[in-house]
Amino acid sequence: MRAIARASRRRVYAATSFAGVAVLALAGCSSGSSSGAAKTSAAAASSAPAAASSSTAAAASATGSAATSPAGGSSSAASGPAPSVAAAPVDTSVSGKVNWWGWTPDAGVATQYITAFNKQYPNVKVTYKMLTIAGYNAALRPALASSVGPDVFDVAPGAANGAIDTYGVDAIDLTPAVTKALGSDWKSKLAPIGVSSLTTDGKLRALSVGAVFAGTVWINQDLFTKYNLKPPTTLAEWVNVCAAFKSHNVGCFIQGAAQTAFDEDTIQAISDSIEPGKWVQAIAGTAKWTDPTIVKALTIWQSLFHNGIMESGALGVQQYPDANNAFLSQKDAMVMMGTWYMQYSTKTGMTSAISGAGVKNPVPFTQVPIAFPDVAGAGHPASVYGDADFGLAVSARSKNIPAATAFATWLGTSSAGQQLVANVLNDIPALNSAQPVWAQTGLVNSSVQQPILAALISKTGQSSEPRLSTVSADLQTAIGTAATTVAAGGSDSPAKAAATLQSAADKLKK
Amino acid sequence: MTDPQPASSVASSLDDSSAPSLPMTRRGGGRRRGLRPLGLPWILPAFVLVVGLLYYCIGDTAYISTLDWDGVSPDKVSVGFGNYTQAYHDPVFWDAIRHTLVFFVATFALQTLIGFTFAAIVHSRIKLGTLYKVIIFTPVVIAPATMAPVFRQVFAADGQLNALLSDVGLVSWTQPWLAQPRTALIAIMLITVWQWTGVTFILYFAAMGQVEPEIIEAARIDGAGNLRTLAQIVWPSVRGTTVALGMLSVIGALKTFDVPYLVTVGGPNFATEFLGTMIYRISIPMAHVGYGAALSVILLVLALLGAIIIGIRGMRTDRTPNV
Amino acid sequence: MFETRGRRNKIVLQVVATLIVLPYLFPLYAMVKGSLAGEGWGNYRAVLDVGAIPTFFKNSAIIAVATILVVYVLTMLAAYGFSKLHIRGKEIYFWMIIVALTLPEVVLLTPLFVTATKLNFYDTYASVVLPLAALQIPFTLLLTRSFVDGVPNELFEAARVDGASTAKCFWYLVIPLTRPIAAAIVVLTLINAWNDYLLPLVLLQDPGKQTITLLPQFFVSEFSNDQTKVLASAVITAIPEIIAYLSLQRLFERGLSAGAIK
Repeated sequence: MRAIARASRRRVYAATSFAGVAVLALAGCSSGSSSGAAKTSAAAASSAPAAASSSTAAAASATGSAATSPAGGSSSAASGPAPSVAAAPVDTSVSGKVNWWGWTPDAGVATQYITAFNKQYPNVKVTYKMLTIAGYNAALRPALASSVGPDVFDVAPGAANGAIDTYGVDAIDLTPAVTKALGSDWKSKLAPIGVSSLTTDGKLRALSVGAVFAGTVWINQDLFTKYNLKPPTTLAEWVNVCAAFKSHNVGCFIQGAAQTAFDEDTIQAISDSIEPGKWVQAIAGTAKWTDPTIVKALTIWQSLFHNGIMESGALGVQQYPDANNAFLSQKDAMVMMGTWYMQYSTKTGMTSAISGAGVKNPVPFTQVPIAFPDVAGAGHPASVYGDADFGLAVSARSKNIPAATAFATWLGTSSAGQQLVANVLNDIPALNSAQPVWAQTGLVNSSVQQPILAALISKTGQSSEPRLSTVSADLQTAIGTAATTVAAGGSDSPAKAAATLQSAADKLKK
Repeated sequence: MTDPQPASSVASSLDDSSAPSLPMTRRGGGRRRGLRPLGLPWILPAFVLVVGLLYYCIGDTAYISTLDWDGVSPDKVSVGFGNYTQAYHDPVFWDAIRHTLVFFVATFALQTLIGFTFAAIVHSRIKLGTLYKVIIFTPVVIAPATMAPVFRQVFAADGQLNALLSDVGLVSWTQPWLAQPRTALIAIMLITVWQWTGVTFILYFAAMGQVEPEIIEAARIDGAGNLRTLAQIVWPSVRGTTVALGMLSVIGALKTFDVPYLVTVGGPNFATEFLGTMIYRISIPMAHVGYGAALSVILLVLALLGAIIIGIRGMRTDRTPNV
Repeated sequence: MFETRGRRNKIVLQVVATLIVLPYLFPLYAMVKGSLAGEGWGNYRAVLDVGAIPTFFKNSAIIAVATILVVYVLTMLAAYGFSKLHIRGKEIYFWMIIVALTLPEVVLLTPLFVTATKLNFYDTYASVVLPLAALQIPFTLLLTRSFVDGVPNELFEAARVDGASTAKCFWYLVIPLTRPIAAAIVVLTLINAWNDYLLPLVLLQDPGKQTITLLPQFFVSEFSNDQTKVLASAVITAIPEIIAYLSLQRLFERGLSAGAIK
């Protein structure tokens, strides 16, 4: 789920552990959480889309499904030990200590990665320091400037945590390392979206570990079956399905509408169903926000709040834990989530997640992604859009660049490392050849889920549409204002909100 | 730097003790015309620690507030007072100020009322007093981050608050509290009161320990009832605490960050935006470090002004001698 | 404070107190209930199974105790100085200290980091304790000064007439008389130090020095967003603070009744 990383998650958990930064105060005297750290601003965040679309490699990652993966049976499920795929030669020439800082993955997975890495590089000791999303920039910014910073650190494209445009200057160019690892045609072996979005000034600042895509709606198939309902494919069907669920006292569709990033996901899906690509053009500035497509998208978005589709009070709901828990505890039958939600399709993943949502004696249910309904009725196929989730950068100030580089390169490009990433079902791996070994992932209902998930992965391989990586933080704020204004049903019509958004975007360009 | 009270200070203090002092000074000799700064060594350790450690931060912030900068990149553009004029023209800034005012008045009044009353009650030997104290106090120790999802559930459309309202026949009051601008601000204020009344309570509780029981007894003998005793004897004698709390509340209201940030992300539509949340949003996710620093300086000035006004007003009206 | 002699008075008071407390209790109840949802006590077991818990507790305790000592000593000295002694330009010094209370932590971190690395404090407990104390002192000083202001000057005059030095007045008057407020500021400082998250995160690198506020992080991450265990962590983290509050207050109250006043 850290997949959502970006702005969104950063907000969600801003402070899971900001244990009341200050009692300093009374009337809510909290002194904030935060940090001195800063993000790159706006205009800079834009390398991803163009490059991605020009790539020829996209198709290569669409190799489809299942246990046919060459990586085969030797690798393990998410929670298991490291796989021994294509056992690479042990390299004892590289040695030393590597400090790795990140907000993701969590400690257990990091340990798996490091253990597997050490099979190939037994003399490198990697120490992982996990920081929270909120604390990450705060800690990273001064640390990179000092002599005590990390050797390897997480970065991400766009206006996200560890923004590559901000922190890329502190990282070495990994092109030589990746060339050495994968050969001169390395670009054809890696997902293009990860390469383009982590390249700045022509230098590959970090190696993508994997990508996440949004645009899908996840449904509780068991609830649909129970009430004999079909997943909606149009707006009208969606309204009917929701009315049917309501009549059985089941919530219908939930999302954390208090959070801009997730609102963007939904509105981008709506906009793509009206006219594919217009949304991305508006972000890039090549189309106006006042374009009829965007205005119509905002209108449909608004209607979701009034036609019984969107859960009542959604504007006060956050994606995590609120919407996530509502779906997992079967209070709602549909949720707006992306590919990172695949991890809950496994028995173990879902059982612990349901328990985490506060359900006693959790029984996993069958969840599957469906295409976003064709709410415009224009007949366009639903799109998926994504970004690199995170990448590993090597600090230019590291005292042990060879060891740090070996680790970053191993996780981002080796089949052993990438197979681990694939099986975790959180990220779509950066290495095209790495595919989940379904037989070992332990799906809840594999006959139903496996073909759908495999098709989804295949579909993401064909997408070059960016999700959040090209949206600057300023623009995101303006989009959020437009989204919540129309959703709150205030005085602003969608047209007016779009005009306000356009004028905000004009100001940003200056 | 934190060496408490060097020997020399003891020496000079000894001198002080023999100096004649004027009995009528209120704030401990503030207006006394002593010849030497005899108290200086006593305040020096605290002063050195606070000023030494934090004034660099203030200076740094003031400097950054004149820049257009993302906090990292090598090119910092000097914009003079540009960030300050930007704040002046930013409607969200004025929203935040308005919210802060409402928030300060409402939360300070409620906390004072509840904290004071409750402290008086607990001082009166009721049953289960310790349990009650713990209940009021516990919210203070719980990280807002932990409680934020709990409160989002309480105030949700299908949350416990609405369930409670329906149960007592107030169905028409039920609403999605956090999804509507006005009610979201109310919810944020209620959560804040919940969280901080414990502090108000323990400070009043401490201050009431200073009230001489004899005076209260005397008032009783004169036939004063409970409320009159509270209003005329207890309330005036804890005025110092009330004033200090008022000053802290002004500063706290301006800095308000975690509750609105965690519960509503400052929304919907900036309805729960405060200077504290705005500074965070602008400095961190939006990376306008210069603008954020300018807002911080504005916050500093406003907080100081507010605290000084309350401090002076409190002193002026505080004519009842607490001797 | 209140007349509690009549039976009716007693009942009314009890009812009022209960009515005040109920709204405060409710979210706490929701929290504890949430911490027991799903796996029930298993949530607590999972939290306690986090291997680093003893280290976390030890580090938080070290930081909290050190901060409390610094804050208590410096606050008492300064409150006495500001309240009862003569200092030229006193209010200017006072407000210069109070100003430090108005800075949002957002703007503090980077300069503090720079200071810590320059002074070679980075990755030591002092790098967290000193800023924590510096941030806390304006707050405690404001409260303590107003409290000491409430101590009648006559007590000090009388002591001086009897030949007591300033230091003796501090030791025999200020320290015992400020017990109630001392209990409050010690508790508030404890909470602040115990709950502080960002300073340890940024200024301590060594995993062996990390604090208890990192605990929920184990349950909010890539694979789990487990509110039940986050709430259980919060309960476990809060318990020492509540115990400290109760025992400190008892300690100081006992001192009070046996104390020198009145």
